[in-house]
Amino acid sequence: MKRLAILSILIATVGGFSSCSRDITVTGNIQGQPSIYPDYCDVTVPENIAPLNFSYTGEEDCALQVDGRTIFPQRGREFIFRRSQWRRWMTGDAVSMKILVRKDGKWMSYDPFEIKVSHERIDPYISYRLIPPGYQGWQVMGIYQRNLETYRQSPVIENRMTGGDCVNCHTYNQRDPGTMVFHARADFRGTFVIKDDAIEKLNTKTDSTISALVYPYWHPEGRYITFSTNATKQSFFNHGPDRIEVFDSASDVVVYDVEKHSLTWSPLTKSTEMFETFPSFSPDGKWLYFCSSKAVDNMPYNYDQAHYGIYRIAFNAADGTFGDSLECIYDAAAEDKSASFPRISPDGRWLAFTRHRCGNFSIWHQDADIWMIDLESGESRPAEAMNSDEVDSYHDWSGDSRWMVFSSRRDDGLYTRLYISHIDENGHESKPFMLPQKNPKDYYKDLMFSYNIPEFMTGKVGMSMHRISTCMRKDPGTQVTVSR
Amino acid sequence: MNKFALAYREQQQLFIYEKTYFTGTLLKVGGLSTLMARFAVQFFWSPLIAMGITVMLLALSAYLLWASIRRDRRDWLSLLTGMIPACLIGASLSDNSLHFDYLTSVILVEAALVIYNKIIRTKRILWGVLMTIIIYITAGPAAICFAVSAAVIELSKGSRLRWFSAAYPITALACGYVSYLTAGSATLACALTPAFHYNLDESAPLLHWLGWLAIPVATAAALIRNKKLFAPVALILFAGAMTFSIMVSQKADKNPSITSYEYEYYTANERWDELTESCRHHVWSPGTANYLNLAHAYKGTLTDNLFRYDNRGVSSLFFMPEEKSVDVRVAHIMYAMGNMAAAQNVSFNAMRSTEGFCPAMLKMNAKVELMRGTYDVADKYLSILEKSLHYRKWAKKYRQFLWNDQAVDNDRELSTGRKDMEVSDGFAMLGNPIDELMKVIDANPDDKKAMDYALSFLLLSKDIARLKDFTDRYWGSGALTVLPEYAQEALIFYSEYSRNFENVDPVSLEWCLAHGVAQNTIQHFEAFQKASLKSRGAAPSGYKETYWNYLLYTQL
Repeated sequence: MKRLAILSILIATVGGFSSCSRDITVTGNIQGQPSIYPDYCDVTVPENIAPLNFSYTGEEDCALQVDGRTIFPQRGREFIFRRSQWRRWMTGDAVSMKILVRKDGKWMSYDPFEIKVSHERIDPYISYRLIPPGYQGWQVMGIYQRNLETYRQSPVIENRMTGGDCVNCHTYNQRDPGTMVFHARADFRGTFVIKDDAIEKLNTKTDSTISALVYPYWHPEGRYITFSTNATKQSFFNHGPDRIEVFDSASDVVVYDVEKHSLTWSPLTKSTEMFETFPSFSPDGKWLYFCSSKAVDNMPYNYDQAHYGIYRIAFNAADGTFGDSLECIYDAAAEDKSASFPRISPDGRWLAFTRHRCGNFSIWHQDADIWMIDLESGESRPAEAMNSDEVDSYHDWSGDSRWMVFSSRRDDGLYTRLYISHIDENGHESKPFMLPQKNPKDYYKDLMFSYNIPEFMTGKVGMSMHRISTCMRKDPGTQVTVSR
Repeated sequence: MNKFALAYREQQQLFIYEKTYFTGTLLKVGGLSTLMARFAVQFFWSPLIAMGITVMLLALSAYLLWASIRRDRRDWLSLLTGMIPACLIGASLSDNSLHFDYLTSVILVEAALVIYNKIIRTKRILWGVLMTIIIYITAGPAAICFAVSAAVIELSKGSRLRWFSAAYPITALACGYVSYLTAGSATLACALTPAFHYNLDESAPLLHWLGWLAIPVATAAALIRNKKLFAPVALILFAGAMTFSIMVSQKADKNPSITSYEYEYYTANERWDELTESCRHHVWSPGTANYLNLAHAYKGTLTDNLFRYDNRGVSSLFFMPEEKSVDVRVAHIMYAMGNMAAAQNVSFNAMRSTEGFCPAMLKMNAKVELMRGTYDVADKYLSILEKSLHYRKWAKKYRQFLWNDQAVDNDRELSTGRKDMEVSDGFAMLGNPIDELMKVIDANPDDKKAMDYALSFLLLSKDIARLKDFTDRYWGSGALTVLPEYAQEALIFYSEYSRNFENVDPVSLEWCLAHGVAQNTIQHFEAFQKASLKSRGAAPSGYKETYWNYLLYTQL
């Protein structure tokens, strides 16, 4: 009797899973594509991405047809794909999907949509910070890593380990999870450099610099990290779509020598007449790119007078010296705009940046869009397929220069989410897809954190959170010096 | 234990009926005790219920310990020893830096002791080790209390393997160390001591250690076989614990933060009459004045009562703390003043606590998002509130406003806030609060609370020239159709004395009469002037609750 009961349960369970095989008869068409969340209609995905589960957002009963097979939602209107099934689909060039809905007892079909498959594989991991989008309060936050081939997220460091400190501005050298830098503020403040399976705490405020080190970027050879130093504050707007303005009243760009624990700079990157920020090295390490605006006084009242352009200066890694002239790459001020976060594709062909009305902290500017500069022709253009009416900002290139991850507020206007777009060899971007989750509708609706500073990684950070937090808590830190 | 301190715990969390919330909590070290604590605390929206549940849990704790150590059901002396930890834990709970799972973890420990001592008969050492591990995972480092108590029990039994019970505390310590190494606990102290239940990096007072220590001590005391010795020991320990707990509780009740818990409870529940009464019965401070004035603002009686109690300067209306960004009081006052951007800035930062979400701040954010018309974000907040037991009804009520501008415009509170937000461009909380308040009035002169706050700011700052300009501009419009008595007193004073000063725009009696000053206020002022002459520089009697008394005789 007991065996019979178990068998009945098993049969019922298997029956539930195999409901996918039930056939239905479609009696009509509905013009247009269905409304699904996330919007994965006609996106391009890498073959090694985790299944793009989604929900039909209409009210009717629904089903999905893929390659002639009918799949019913597992829960409500959610389509959750088995990994093996998804992998099979990813071997082709595209997956054609058709949403069917039942109206007045009859099944109708929306126009089909495709998920195009690119066989250019994406880096398997990304790293990001999860933070409430208010910036002053940070009771709970952390830097995390996510396997793009599954849904697994694990912490690199969470601020519960350090009593609610702010952890920020993480970056990896050439996507290497073993070479990382990040900062902590408040009680256990410092800059933390992870390299060669060791972690080092740095005290980076010096008498010659206006603040501790801020926005980082590794030199490809790993000996240098360029940072900005910023006198940053933020104010909350009375009303309007842009809630917060984060502004600098002074800023410079410096280069840190990892071996000598010293800072150096050029007078052209550290000038009182200019604000310099958001530095990054070119993939060959010969150029230091950064954003710069004429200095503006009486901040934040004059916040809209700061217009940052993109400049570069030659950098010699052999002796840590700079060229003697600046080259303007993008004169945003001439267009009454600002540019932020210059990031050059690893193949050296494209420079992606965020373009917005003014200031430098684009994530709070609703008009912020991602733009591309062809470094061969010097032409710039918006990455139309990637951008939205909401903020589209911080971006990072994959190792093969074919994928870009960026953050956007397009989902609800406040909480930033990650999107990934394919970039072809001619620099044409495809419609981006939202970072897949097992139950994206519930996950993103419940998630009270913004994704911040997404960066690709070739693997998982090997250093344990315990080791990192122990260093944060106990290491007195090495004082950074100035060598000029 | 203070009932308002307990109720304040409810504002530090939001128990969400959702699988991921349950699993996310359970998968942490001590997760079961945390989940039990949060489940209990969700009902603390009423201070009386909070007190009732806490007392019941303390009684359960005492009963479980008694059940584990008693010799028989009539062993009342053991009941006294069983109550010792509960007494001390009850006193500990007055400290809101101590999380409520301190109590629930002890309950799990005591339940495990009952199982270990009364149910398990064979392979006790193996079971003891296994239970220590399970208790560490479910209740955190309180497992050490179980380990030591179980070892004491085992040693008293005199069995052949009794010395192997030393493995229990060793196992508990090992669990703690593993938890530390795997980042389950931030510090070794968190992994092994009551600091686990305390705000990280704050040192837990000795009292919280005593609650733990009392468990093995009570267990050991109950093992004394000589009744003549046990009775005085049990009585002395119990009397000592009770006396100590009462002393600690009385001291805790005098802590100024207790009064703010009370004010915050009444504010979060919009019980303005009780808030008014509460403020009157406590020591006067800027914080008390802020809450009292807030209550009057909501009751529409702020300007009528401004000088009936000891308001001194604008800090009585709004005292800005050094760390303004997470002070719920600031959020409530900014919201009442119609400075919605500032209210949201503060409430957003105060919305998240280490135990989850602050429901009052989450509600405020949901309302401000509805005012903004950013319905996707409002929907997000309402969805979370809907997953709680107590706030579900409220959230469902506000769901009607989503993507419905007309419904928002027809709602008194939301439409007022929406109009308040139409202030001229600029930043919130950057300048003087009164300047920002003036922008709100400019945008929405119909906002009665904002209008009352503006008048109160001008009166309390003794800026009667600006009060005159303000009246000139807004008299007869919006929410200023009746001039409050204190403002009348200020204007008649200005009218009389402005004629004697240069660079001051004088106003006539006719102007005053045309701007809401009543004839009897003029007569009252004449009487005040005569009384002042008689009193020769001292404050004349009978005029204590007048603006003239505040203006001339109250030093700021």
